[in-house]
Amino acid sequence: MTAIDLPVAGKRPMSPTAVVMLLLLPIAVINAIGFLWPVVNLLRMSFRDSEASGALLETSGLTTWINVLSDSFTLDLITGSIGVSLFITVLTLVCSYPIALYLHRCSGLWRTVLLVLVIAPLLTSAVVRTYGWIAILSDQGLIANALLALGITPPRLMFNLTGVIIGLTEILMPYMILALLSGFGRLDPRFEEAALTLGATPWKTFWRVVVPLTAPGMALGCLLCFVLAISSFVTPKLLGGGRVFLLATEIYDQAIVTLNWPMAAALSIIILVLFGFALALYTRALRRIA
Amino acid sequence: MKTTVQISAAVLALGLMTQAAAAETNLTVMGYSGLFQERYTKAVLEPFMKAHPDIKVTFFPLPSAAAMLGNLRAQKAAPQVDVVMMDISVSKAGTDEGLFTKIDETNVPNSKDLYPAARVEGVAGVGVTFDNLVLLYNTDQVKEAPKSWMDMAEKTYDRKVVIPGVPDIQGLSLVLILNKANGGTDYLKDVSKGIDAMIKIAPNVQTWDPKPEVYAPIVTGQASIGAGWNARAQVNSITSNGKLKATIPAEGTVFQINAISLVANAPNAEAAKVFANYALSPEAQKSFTETMFYAPTNSKAQISDEALARTAVKFMDKAIPVDWIALAKVRDAIGEQWRRRVVPASR
Repeated sequence: MTAIDLPVAGKRPMSPTAVVMLLLLPIAVINAIGFLWPVVNLLRMSFRDSEASGALLETSGLTTWINVLSDSFTLDLITGSIGVSLFITVLTLVCSYPIALYLHRCSGLWRTVLLVLVIAPLLTSAVVRTYGWIAILSDQGLIANALLALGITPPRLMFNLTGVIIGLTEILMPYMILALLSGFGRLDPRFEEAALTLGATPWKTFWRVVVPLTAPGMALGCLLCFVLAISSFVTPKLLGGGRVFLLATEIYDQAIVTLNWPMAAALSIIILVLFGFALALYTRALRRIA
Repeated sequence: MKTTVQISAAVLALGLMTQAAAAETNLTVMGYSGLFQERYTKAVLEPFMKAHPDIKVTFFPLPSAAAMLGNLRAQKAAPQVDVVMMDISVSKAGTDEGLFTKIDETNVPNSKDLYPAARVEGVAGVGVTFDNLVLLYNTDQVKEAPKSWMDMAEKTYDRKVVIPGVPDIQGLSLVLILNKANGGTDYLKDVSKGIDAMIKIAPNVQTWDPKPEVYAPIVTGQASIGAGWNARAQVNSITSNGKLKATIPAEGTVFQINAISLVANAPNAEAAKVFANYALSPEAQKSFTETMFYAPTNSKAQISDEALARTAVKFMDKAIPVDWIALAKVRDAIGEQWRRRVVPASR
């Protein structure tokens, strides 16, 4: 930050606040254009009146919001989406935690190799990975055939909620692992050694030492995965088979199929409000951990 | 001397430029991407450009009618598109929003020869293709052409049925067909008989959301039987060497209409009329029907027998009339019954 102290010819050096403001300006402008303005538009769209044909009228009103909030289906969508996303988040955490812990304890080349393996799936799009799951989970897929060979009738793994949960959990795991790793900084192996030498069982050491120290990473990972899960649309669309109704897929249907843009906008705002709640919960959780 | 050369060169260049400008009427036609774009370019756009060397047509492909409407809405103040082809119910929304110029016999003369069904009250455009719902089947797994839509409810097809479900209009069409077949009278008031019939098929359904379209899983044998649109089914039938076949069962079928519309305040309004007139002409209609098997909307189009056999033209008596514009008003209510009764039966 030496720039602050550089004397500007004929002018007084800028105050630190001004420099901060100046540095924040580009991202503030980008956010205003790329995020705030579209959200304001979305909000306006949710109040627009429309006809049954899908035609938007010039008038505005509360019709859409009254329909959305009085329809029990919306409530089902909200509770269902939250429930499924929470379940996926917990499952992702359970599957990712051991991997992240192992990675944290690795070092050298081995760690780099494993880290690359963890990040590699992010290089392929979620669509491609979902199609991969279709090949594995379908009625003639890998798992079904393996189970059949063992004489077990395979359960329905795809085109239902099971498929969506399996697919999304795998797709979100890299994010969770990276978030966990970033929060594992406080986990010093000497703490564990200390606990063990003081007579704690490995199980007790894990619960009393490792888990509390890694809690910030878990909170961050859970926030990230919950937000990604509740807004994900491609995987539920491809693996849900039209049987799984979530907010994100309903927004797609309303916008693209039934052409009810105000309804799609209103549901999008609801998701945004849910994000806000998740963020507030995260902040509270962090404070409690600290 | 030098000046003369310069002047004549300038004049020549100017002349060339005006000529180039005349040849540069860049008409933009918006329509469906994929198979539609590929076949329409070959069957209609290329012959059109040959016949009108002064008009260059660019096809602007989009995957769905809703995406097209979204684009037109965004461009309302300064349209970039001259002509659009999209599903008639979506084009009704566009008409209501004032996005289109009305087509009639004065600006597009060939519209006088259209079948009555190609003109829909309250829609600015006119029908350019007819399609209809067909029962699709995999010929390895289904040896004889099914006679009834209800064959999909047979035990042998457990987890082998694919139907694009409501709110997709393919699923919606199937509800209407089954409603009529089971004694339903006015689909605008009550489709519960159609819903009841769908509940019988539902347990066999593998997916209500086949991707990318309903045809691929049937061609590959991942599914045995399903419902889809005729034109794409016919093309898939040919490209798959008959793995997929399509039939119109006894209960009948429902027609879908794609309308061609002139975009209001389009940059090339005159060329747009010329193109729309060509698209509705007997020769363009014949060419596209023989390439992609949409039924023609121009009554004067002389279609080859071979192509005709692949369209629903000979089965007009089996068509159940549907007022897509009126249906839009009750679509949400049908969707709700679908979600609450049909989908749970398929779990």
